[in-house]
Amino acid sequence: MQVIENLKVKEKLYIEKLENGLTVMIIPKHGILKKYIIWGTNYGSNDSTFVVPGETQETTVPEGVAHFLEHKMFEQESGVNSLDTLTALGVEANAYTTNDHTAYLYECTDNFYEALDEFMDYVQHPYFTDENVEKEKGIIGQEIMMYDDYPEWRVYLNTMQAMYHNNPIKIDTTGTIETISHIDKDILYKCYNTFYNPSNMAMVICGDFEPEEILKEVKERLIPNTSNGEIKRIYPDEPDTIVKEKIEQKMEVSQSLYSIGIKDRIVEQSAKVKRHLAIEILLNILIGKSSKLYKKLYSDGVIYSTPSIDYEFSDKYAHVMISGQSNEPDVVFESFKAETKKLIEEGIDENDFDRIKKKIYGLYVKEYNDVADISRMFLSDYFKGINSFDYLEEIDSVNIDYANQVAKELFDDKKMVLSVVTK
Amino acid sequence: MSYKKTEIKKGITLHEIKTDKFKTNLLAVFLTTELNRQSVTKNALISSILRRGSKTLTSQEEISKKLEEMYGAEFDCGLDKTGDNQVLKFYIETINDEFIPKNSSNILQESIQNLLDIVFNPYTENGGFKEEYLMQEKNNIKQIIEGKIDNKARYALDRCIEEMYKNQNFGLYKYGYVEDLEAIGAKDLYDYYKQLIANCKIDIFVSGIIDDKLEEIIQNNDNIKALNERDAKYKMMELAKKEAVKENEVVENMDVTQGKLILGLDIDLKDEDLKYDALLYNSILGGSANSKLFQNVREKANLAYVASSSYLRYKNNIFIKCGIEIDNYEKALDIIKKQLTDMKNGEFSEEEIANCKKGILASIKTIDDEQDTQISFYFGQELSNKPITLEEYSSRVEKVKKEDIVNIANKVSVNTIYFLRN
Repeated sequence: MQVIENLKVKEKLYIEKLENGLTVMIIPKHGILKKYIIWGTNYGSNDSTFVVPGETQETTVPEGVAHFLEHKMFEQESGVNSLDTLTALGVEANAYTTNDHTAYLYECTDNFYEALDEFMDYVQHPYFTDENVEKEKGIIGQEIMMYDDYPEWRVYLNTMQAMYHNNPIKIDTTGTIETISHIDKDILYKCYNTFYNPSNMAMVICGDFEPEEILKEVKERLIPNTSNGEIKRIYPDEPDTIVKEKIEQKMEVSQSLYSIGIKDRIVEQSAKVKRHLAIEILLNILIGKSSKLYKKLYSDGVIYSTPSIDYEFSDKYAHVMISGQSNEPDVVFESFKAETKKLIEEGIDENDFDRIKKKIYGLYVKEYNDVADISRMFLSDYFKGINSFDYLEEIDSVNIDYANQVAKELFDDKKMVLSVVTK
Repeated sequence: MSYKKTEIKKGITLHEIKTDKFKTNLLAVFLTTELNRQSVTKNALISSILRRGSKTLTSQEEISKKLEEMYGAEFDCGLDKTGDNQVLKFYIETINDEFIPKNSSNILQESIQNLLDIVFNPYTENGGFKEEYLMQEKNNIKQIIEGKIDNKARYALDRCIEEMYKNQNFGLYKYGYVEDLEAIGAKDLYDYYKQLIANCKIDIFVSGIIDDKLEEIIQNNDNIKALNERDAKYKMMELAKKEAVKENEVVENMDVTQGKLILGLDIDLKDEDLKYDALLYNSILGGSANSKLFQNVREKANLAYVASSSYLRYKNNIFIKCGIEIDNYEKALDIIKKQLTDMKNGEFSEEEIANCKKGILASIKTIDDEQDTQISFYFGQELSNKPITLEEYSSRVEKVKKEDIVNIANKVSVNTIYFLRN
């Protein structure tokens, strides 16, 4: 196993790519009772069109299949649901689907290996029938309706709609009640066989483990399988431009929710972490808790809490999101734009830069408190081609000149959108 | 891990949790006071105005800059309704000195000073809070109160509690009432604040890598020195008496896609020790994926994605929560009530009990692995008439038998059915 040590947070990552293509990552945490394991496939709601290895024709599946598949994986031929079996062992099991990966996980203190038997068994043995697929449509239908009532989710999806012409990041992870009505067991098996191949998967384990020992236990539970070769994924071309500057939806809320989106260019793999860090620093300087803009908007009664700041990216998309609640979303948007112009003109203040850089460093250190946070971070970064330790290592190399340069590239009015959920 | 509790002065307690499991130190100051209509809004305002500035760091901007400089130390505050108390919570989380690249100052000590300044030495002008801050925080609180409707599932639960505790303190909204805000003046609020900190229960928590001088540091802090001894005015957790009530059905309309159904249940307990039985009862009813609600409402009838219940031990209530198609209201309600009846008839197995225990015991074990959960646990013991250790907690859970759970089932009654629909 390869060992990567990070001296800043004093943690070690043990990583190995097995013969069948599966990547296993282990982060030992001695003295912690909680144990966490997460097993993911690089397959999410973005992957609707692809070429099955060995075939030549493209396959297109309905929106929402990856998420539907996640729900159905727990179903077993024996009739016993694996979620029930795991829960009965006193472990907390769950699963989730994002736009680029699907993950299965559990957290426990005792019975780790008994649970591992069930866990690795169910992820490797799908069992779909017409009947069990049909019944899930009612449950997922309610999940979709639940999200429809979340204004935060609506304002997010609308931001994507305003920024992206074609990229599937703009569609709902769950699909819609209409799209999931077309899902059947054959579609599920086809997607399972394509994407749940070990070479397309990764596992992260965090807790009080001896790395060699736990790796051996994992290997023993893997069924014979070989790498099925490259999966060609087909994404529609995406222009650099935005779709529209403003998008609005009405809902019964006390005050408007807003989200400012900034479409960013896609940079080469090696530059991604550094750019991400620079963007976090920039946004904190511009509209973070200690910023002049936040102070002004607060004094004017425009916003009462710091906006949440996100940077999402893959090989096919990259964007910033700044979201919160305000009675005057247009004021937030316009004053943010004005502030970015000022920053580009005047350059970043050195004191602000040094201070915020320290803050961002501290935030990354805090990520290493909890076994669940650590595992999820390593998994999702892995599918982006990133080792999470890189954030702690590369922050030193982010200097003010680089940040100024990123600001010039990123902050362009023509790439900014405003999504609002109004009352 | 070690836990030590020291009375700094009467009514003021220091809780030291020494642990090296985390990259962070967590400091917290909790002010606990009786919940009532006269002061609920004022307390909410105080919790929000204190974060605006202290005598030493006079604005939010200064506080933020100071904390950012300390490698992302974070200040946070919260407001809770804990039984019949209102609890004002203030936190600073810092990274341990061990993980700071250029170690120049003692970050923990500096944070203690800053946090105590924020809570006990606020920024004032002319013998009152700063007018400008007060005006802004009134608007802030107003928007928080009005924002109740934004999260529909949370709103439905809040409304159900409100209906169950009409005209009682526990039915109050923790952020208070818009109509009470207007009359509160900067000087009055400051006078009220002085009264609050002179009379409330004060708990100071420090969790992380702590040196032995902590108690001395706290004792010698000027803010602490200035505080008087007190017979703190707050409510210990008592067994809430449950009057038999007629089932109350409340339907409210709002622009929602999905119906949100909440059932508020009363559990009539005569003995504090029965709460462990109630915990198991709730777990079997709706506490996990194996529970009756999840299995019957979701997996068998496919009516819901969310179907669960939670136990509010301070008030001995269980709240059942489901998100359903509006037309399925009757159907869902029938299935839920059937589960309550089945529980009364003891229609659950020894195996189900054993499985639920495993889940609960695991969650007790991980309390020490989460810094904020650990603080919440020790604070919960502060308010309890029968405080216990984590070991006792586990052994109490282990001892619960099937007949104890059936006994609870027969003390459960539906108080309120609340449905939010379009």
